Amino acid sequence: MPSKHRLAQLGDRVLTYGVLSLVTAASLFPVVWAVLTSIKVQGDLVSYPPRWIPTQVTFAHYTDVFLNSNMARYFGNSLLVSALTILLTLLIGTHGGYAASRGRFRGKNFLLFIILATIMIPGVSVLVPLYMLAARLHLLDTYLVLVLIYTAWQVPTVLWFMRGFFDAISPELEEAAQVDGCSPIQAMYRVILPLTQPGLAAAAILVFVYVWNEFIIALTMSTKDEMRMIPVGLYFYISQFGVEWGKLMAAVTVAILPIIVLFVILQRRFVQGLTSGAIKG
Amino acid sequence: MPDVHSEGTAIRAAAPSQAAIARRGRQLGARRNLLALAFLLPALLYVLAVTFYPAVYALQVSFHDTAYFTMGKFVGLMHYIRFLSEAEGRNNILRSLMYMGASVTVALPLGLFLAVLLNKPIRFRIFFRGAIVVPWLISQIATALLWGWLVNPQYGPVPYLLVQLTGVRLEFLGNPSQAMATLVLANVWRSFPLPLLLFLAALQAVPQDMLDAAVVDGATGLRRFWYVIFPAIRHTALIAFILLTLHYFNMVTLPLVLTGGGPVGATDVMTLRIFREGFTFYRLGIASAVAMIVFLLNLVFSLVYVRALRAEPLY
Repeated sequence: MPSKHRLAQLGDRVLTYGVLSLVTAASLFPVVWAVLTSIKVQGDLVSYPPRWIPTQVTFAHYTDVFLNSNMARYFGNSLLVSALTILLTLLIGTHGGYAASRGRFRGKNFLLFIILATIMIPGVSVLVPLYMLAARLHLLDTYLVLVLIYTAWQVPTVLWFMRGFFDAISPELEEAAQVDGCSPIQAMYRVILPLTQPGLAAAAILVFVYVWNEFIIALTMSTKDEMRMIPVGLYFYISQFGVEWGKLMAAVTVAILPIIVLFVILQRRFVQGLTSGAIKG
Repeated sequence: MPDVHSEGTAIRAAAPSQAAIARRGRQLGARRNLLALAFLLPALLYVLAVTFYPAVYALQVSFHDTAYFTMGKFVGLMHYIRFLSEAEGRNNILRSLMYMGASVTVALPLGLFLAVLLNKPIRFRIFFRGAIVVPWLISQIATALLWGWLVNPQYGPVPYLLVQLTGVRLEFLGNPSQAMATLVLANVWRSFPLPLLLFLAALQAVPQDMLDAAVVDGATGLRRFWYVIFPAIRHTALIAFILLTLHYFNMVTLPLVLTGGGPVGATDVMTLRIFREGFTFYRLGIASAVAMIVFLLNLVFSLVYVRALRAEPLY
């Protein structure tokens, strides 16, 4: 006869797995539904009750997205701007993080405070002036303006994030390198920086997810179709082609696929990066 | 490291006195501090130019008349007074607070509850965590499009299932109060993994033997939570609350694309008003004034939060 304790344990297990399975289903369902929609033929799309399993699988919506819209171009734009932003952000943020961790000079905390305080300025609050400035500097419809703004908004987070990684490395390591004749610059680049590689990877992922998903700046800074980023392309997809759910969900699937694939490959780094920021307005 | 050793042996061979070592240490320290300053300056100049300067510029614009993109005469607080005194402005503030309050009320406890479950020694833990985190990777625009399709009144699976299971037919985005609820639901779906991950990290720092000891003591679920788990996650709960509320308050994309502020202004949050005044009507003065109010409220929230964090003992 199972004891009361064993029964309680069993109930606990059932509850735990039951709830987790339910939430997993709820988390994945919208995405699965989009993928299913994207491979359905028109008859299945407009059936009521909704047809859960497609009667026929078609990839016509995908060929349509790639051949009859500019989605491939938007995809390339997003890749390029993401790559450039990652480079510039890591360059500035890593050096800043090193300085924050190792520097001992008067006013350091004040300078850090100013940099970090910009996290408190919501993006939506500076949207109008950024647009005005970009227009005046003839930077609208350029990759540069996106890279500049995204970098400015990600540098404080990355700096803070990398500071944590530098803090975790013993100062004795670079002191030893310096006693052995390295200059401080050499000690940083050759001894310390290689040790922060996991941090760099997590920071790069954080920036990538942010740039890939960002919509409002990308929308306001681009007027020409060929300069749109992926999220902006999705937004205008409806107005350009009418509401055709099959095509729209194919486009959405294409837009979220790179992030999901990266996530499956690099889950641990992702979780590290995602909890440390990337929530600017 | 190529030429490190030649120089290094020279220093060691000299068998330096204590004073010489200290001097060398100070020199290197000074050089390192100079280097640190040089490394920090680009970040500083950068955020000053691209974030601080536009913020100051927005403040200036908010005090002036504007015609398209040119600034006219100084009008003082006129835009602010107009926004705060008109029914539309008060509606914007109310909707922002509702959206923020409702979202955080659902997302935070949900994240905590799931984190507690995921912290148990269960099978397929990596799979569950991975699958549950997926919504946080989906952009706001994709979330809006996905949910627009899910609750589509004609072909959407959610209205259909609801009718089948409960017999209730809801309008979702077509009805003012249901539109707000749907928007909050979509927002919670996308954002609950953030508190979940933060709580999970905090819980994993609780030593397993503490949990085991609680079991031996015969603490039931609720008491164990209150006396063992809660003290360990209090600080994290506050941080998650701060991150989420600020995030929700400053959001534009999800409401813009899912509801556009409608129907009849039921989801017309402050950030949508900024966007509409600025980029639909080109009334940059009032857009900037609302933007400044949003910024100011961010500051107020932050100050309250900083006080709360200070008062909170670190575990």
